[in-house]
Amino acid sequence: MLAWRATMLCCLIVLILVGPSVFAASIKIGDIHPLTGRLATHGLESHQGVIAAVAEVNEAGGLLGRQVELVSRDDQSLPDVAISRAEELCAKEKVVGLTGGYEDSLVGAVSEVARKYQVPFVASASLQKELARHGNPYFFRVAGLQGFVEPLCDFLSERLRPQRLAILHAGTPGATEFAADLERCLQPRGFPVRLAEKFRPGTPDFVPLIAKLAALPADVIVSGGFFADHILLVRQIKEQHLRPKAYIGPWGVAYETFLKEMGEDAEYLYGTAAWMPGITLPGTEAASRAFVERCRRLFKREPSSTTMHGYTAARALLAAIEAVLRRGQPPTGANVRQALAGLDLLLPMERLSFDERGDPRSYRHVVLQVQGGRFVVVYPPERATGSAVYPAPP
Amino acid sequence: MERDVPRKGALPGLERGIPITLLLGLVFLPFLARSSGYVLQVFTHALLLASLALAWNILGTGGLISLGHAAFFGVGAYASGLLSLKPALSPWLTIPVGGLFGAGLAVIVGVLCRRLRGAYFALATLAFVEIPRVVTDNWDGLTRGSLGLVGLPGLPVLIIGPWRVEIGSSAAASYYLVLSYTLVVVFLGALLWRSNLGLALQAAREEETAARAVGVHVDRYRFLSLLLSAFLTGTSGAIYVHLTRYTVPGLVYSLHFSAVPVIFAMCGGRFTILGPALAALVLYPVDQFLFHPLLPAGHEFLYGLVLVLVVLFMPGGLWGALRRSP
Amino acid sequence: MWVTALVSGIALGSFYSLIAMGFALIFGVTHAFNLAHGELVVLAGYVAYWLWKGWGLSLVFTFPVAVAVLLCLCLILQRLFALLREPLELNSIVMSFGLAILLQNGMLFAFSGDYRLIRTPALTEGVYVNGLSLTYSQIALVALSLVAIGLLHLLMHHTYLGKALRATIQDREGAALAGINVRGMGLVAFGFGAVCIGLAGPLYGSVHYLYPAAGLQATLIAITVTIFAGVGRIRGLIVGGWLLGLAESAAVILLGSSWRELVSAVILIGLLVFRPRGILGREEG
Repeated sequence: MLAWRATMLCCLIVLILVGPSVFAASIKIGDIHPLTGRLATHGLESHQGVIAAVAEVNEAGGLLGRQVELVSRDDQSLPDVAISRAEELCAKEKVVGLTGGYEDSLVGAVSEVARKYQVPFVASASLQKELARHGNPYFFRVAGLQGFVEPLCDFLSERLRPQRLAILHAGTPGATEFAADLERCLQPRGFPVRLAEKFRPGTPDFVPLIAKLAALPADVIVSGGFFADHILLVRQIKEQHLRPKAYIGPWGVAYETFLKEMGEDAEYLYGTAAWMPGITLPGTEAASRAFVERCRRLFKREPSSTTMHGYTAARALLAAIEAVLRRGQPPTGANVRQALAGLDLLLPMERLSFDERGDPRSYRHVVLQVQGGRFVVVYPPERATGSAVYPAPP
Repeated sequence: MERDVPRKGALPGLERGIPITLLLGLVFLPFLARSSGYVLQVFTHALLLASLALAWNILGTGGLISLGHAAFFGVGAYASGLLSLKPALSPWLTIPVGGLFGAGLAVIVGVLCRRLRGAYFALATLAFVEIPRVVTDNWDGLTRGSLGLVGLPGLPVLIIGPWRVEIGSSAAASYYLVLSYTLVVVFLGALLWRSNLGLALQAAREEETAARAVGVHVDRYRFLSLLLSAFLTGTSGAIYVHLTRYTVPGLVYSLHFSAVPVIFAMCGGRFTILGPALAALVLYPVDQFLFHPLLPAGHEFLYGLVLVLVVLFMPGGLWGALRRSP
Repeated sequence: MWVTALVSGIALGSFYSLIAMGFALIFGVTHAFNLAHGELVVLAGYVAYWLWKGWGLSLVFTFPVAVAVLLCLCLILQRLFALLREPLELNSIVMSFGLAILLQNGMLFAFSGDYRLIRTPALTEGVYVNGLSLTYSQIALVALSLVAIGLLHLLMHHTYLGKALRATIQDREGAALAGINVRGMGLVAFGFGAVCIGLAGPLYGSVHYLYPAAGLQATLIAITVTIFAGVGRIRGLIVGGWLLGLAESAAVILLGSSWRELVSAVILIGLLVFRPRGILGREEG
C-alpha cells in the first residue's frame, strides 16, 4: 500500500517537472527536399542539414521549452510533386514554416504555395534572381546567385585572365542565369566568352562538345553542371586529351564525394563553396566544428556545403520562430515572416540577414582548387590558404 | 467489337447512380473537406487531369491513340503564361487563347501525320513532344528558355454584379472553377458523341474501310477531333499553369502529362463518355492518399501496372465493363 | 573538330545499332511494338551494375548474367504480348507503354534516381594519334556492334532457323502456310532479342549513365534506327545507327548541345511520315 502511494507520488512529481515540456505543444516545421530522383544526392544532404539544426535546437531545450517537430517530405526532384507536398505540409500538417529545396524549379514551385498559405519559406539553395523579385513576402533564401558570380568574376578577371573562355551550363533556371550573369560581368572587363553552350542535365555524351572546345582551343572552361555532369565531362575531356588551363565547376566539385569519385583526375580542378569543413567564416570556427561533429554523430558522414545550406536555412527559420515566441506573440506565418525580415545571425556559412526581397545580404563563395587531393582556398586573398596553380600542369 | 450501345437491364441504376453520386460529392466537397485543404487540392488536381483525359479521349473516339498530348498541354500553358505576363492580359482571355495555340500545334501534327494510323501515329506523337519542348527551352527571347516562368498571375477575378471573387486566392473558388471547366468538357464530349461527327468517328474507329465505303470523310473528321482535343488540352494546360503560377519547360512537356490521359482514358473506358473522368477521379486520389505515403519512390508504378492489366484483360476499361455487365 | 565528331558519331552510332538490334528482331518477327525496350536495356545495365558494385564482378562477367536475366524477362514478355488482341501493333504499344512506366518506377524504387556508372578504367584509355583521340571504349563499341551484326546476319542468311525467321518477317501468313511455326518464331525472336538487350545493357552502364528515366530515350533511338533500316533488314541497322549518331554529333557542332535531343525526334517523325517502310527497306508489293 505504501509502495503504491509512493510510486504514485513519484509519478506525480515527475509529471509536474517534465509535464510542461512534454505536453507543451511542439512547434512544427516542414522541409521538402528531393530525396529521390535525379537530385537525390544533394537533396539528402540539405535534408540532413535541417535535421542537424533541429537536433541542435532541441538538445538545447527547444524554442522556449517547446520541442521542434520536423515534418519532412520528398519531392522526387519533380516540381509537380513539390507543389503537392508543399500543399500537404501547409494545409494538412499546418507547419509554422517551411525550409528546404534544392533546385530553382522545385524552390519556385514551393514558394508560390508558401505565398498562398502565408507560410514563410526559407530556401536552402536557390539562385534564380527572379524568384525574389516577385514581391513574395513569404520567400527567403540563404543563397543567391551573386554569391557565385561575383567571386568567380573577380577571380577570373584578376587572376586567370582567360583569352578563350568557354562557359557551359545545364538547362536549369539557376545554371542558365548564372552563365548569363557571369558573361555579363566579364564582358565589360575585357574577357568575352568564346563559347557558351547549354546542355540538358544527364547528357550521355559530351565528345562533340569537347571537340568544339578543343577547336578554340578553350583555355578556361567554366561548367555550370551538376555532380554527374562533371564526372562525365572531366573524364571525357581527359580521354580526348584536351588540356584546359583551368576547369571550374561552381557546383558539384567542392565535395569530398567528388574527390572520391574522381580520384587523381580531380587534381587542379576548381570549385566554389560558401563553406566546407575547415573553411568557415572567421569567428565561427567553434560553431563550425560543433556542426561537423554533430553531423558525424548523426549521419556517420562528413557534412558538405549542401548540408550547411540546409542547416543555415533551418537555423534562420528556427531563430525567427524563437524571436516571435520571445516577444510573446503567437507563431503565425505573418509574425515569423516579420521576424525573418529583421534577422541578423552569425553562422559558419555567412552572416545571415535578408534584404527586402528575401535575398541574403552577405552570401559569398570562395574559390577552391584541388591540390594534392585536398581543397585549397585560392581566392579571395583575405581567406586564401594557398595560391592557384595556373595553368594546370599536364 | 466494342460498341457503345447501352443495353437495357445493364445495371441502369448503377450507370446513372454512380455519376450522380460522384457529382454531388464533388459539388459539396469543399464543405465536406473543410478541415483539410490538402484534400481539396488533390481533387482540384484530379479534376484537371480528368479534363485532360476527357480531352484526350475525344481524339480516341476516332480511333487515334496519342502518346504525346503533353505537347498541346505545354503549348497551351506557355502561351497563356507568357500572354498573362507581357502584355499583362487577364487569364480569362489567355486561357482560351492557350487552347487556341494547342489547336494550332495540332494543325501541324494533323497535316504531318495525316497518313499515319494506329501504332505509327502513336509513335509520331510520342516523338513530337520534343519539338515544342526543345524550342521552348532554347528560344530564350520569347519563352525565357530554361529560366521558366516565375510568379505568373493566378486564376482571375470573377466579377458578377456586386460580387467579386478572387478565384486565385481561394482554394475553394479555384476548385469550383476547375470543376465547372471539367463539366463543360464532359458536356462537349457528350454532344460530340451523339452528333454526326461523333457517330462518324466511332464508325471509322470500328471499321475504317467500311466507313469510307459509305462515304464518311474519315480524314476530315479525325482532323477535326484532333483540333478539338488539342484545344481542350491546351486550355487544361493553361489552367494548370495559373494554378501553380510557375513552370519550366521540363514540367509541362513532361511524359507525365502524356501518360496520364492515356492511363485514365484506357482504365476508365475509351469507348465511354465518362470513363476517363471517373478513372481520374478515382485513381489519382487513391494514388495520392494511399499509395504515395506507402511507396514514396516509384508509386507511379501502379499506373503502369493498371494500364497493362487493363489492356490485357479489360480493353473497354472499368467503367466500360461495368456498363456492359448483364 | 570534325574528325573527332565523326569518330564520336560512329562510336555512339554503333552503340545505337546495338540497342536497336533487339527491338528490330522482335518487331520484325512479331509486329509487336515494345515501348519498354529501353527500360529493359537500362534494367540489364542495373543488373550488371549491381553485380559489379555489390559482388565485385568484373564487367566482362556481368554480360552472361544480364543475358540470362533478360531471357527470363523476355519470355514473360512474350507471353504477355501473346495475350493481346487485335489490333496487335496498337495494343502492344499501349501495353508496353504501361510496362515502361511500371519498370521505370520499379527501378526508381529499387535503385533510386542517382546516376550509376560502371567504372572500367581500362576503357577510358585509348590511342592518341595526330591530335585525334580514340578510346578503347569507342573501339570496343564499334567492334562489338560489327561482330553482333555480322553474327546476326550469318544467322539469318545461312541457317535454317534464320531462313524461317526471315520468312516470318516478310510474310507471316505465307510462312504459316509454308509450315513454319510462327508462334515459335516469335519465341525465338524474343530470345535473340533478349541476348542483344542483355549485351547492350552493361555497355550502357559503362559508356553512359544508368538512371531510371534513361529508358525512353533509348527506346526512341531503337525505334528510329529500326524504321530507318526497314523492317527486318539487319545490315541496315548499322548504317542507321551510324547516321543517327553522326546526325547528333553534327547537330551539337553546328547548332549547339541544347538541340541534341531534337535530332532523333525529328528523324523519327520524318521517317514515319515520309518512309514508314524505311529508307533501306524494299517496298512491299
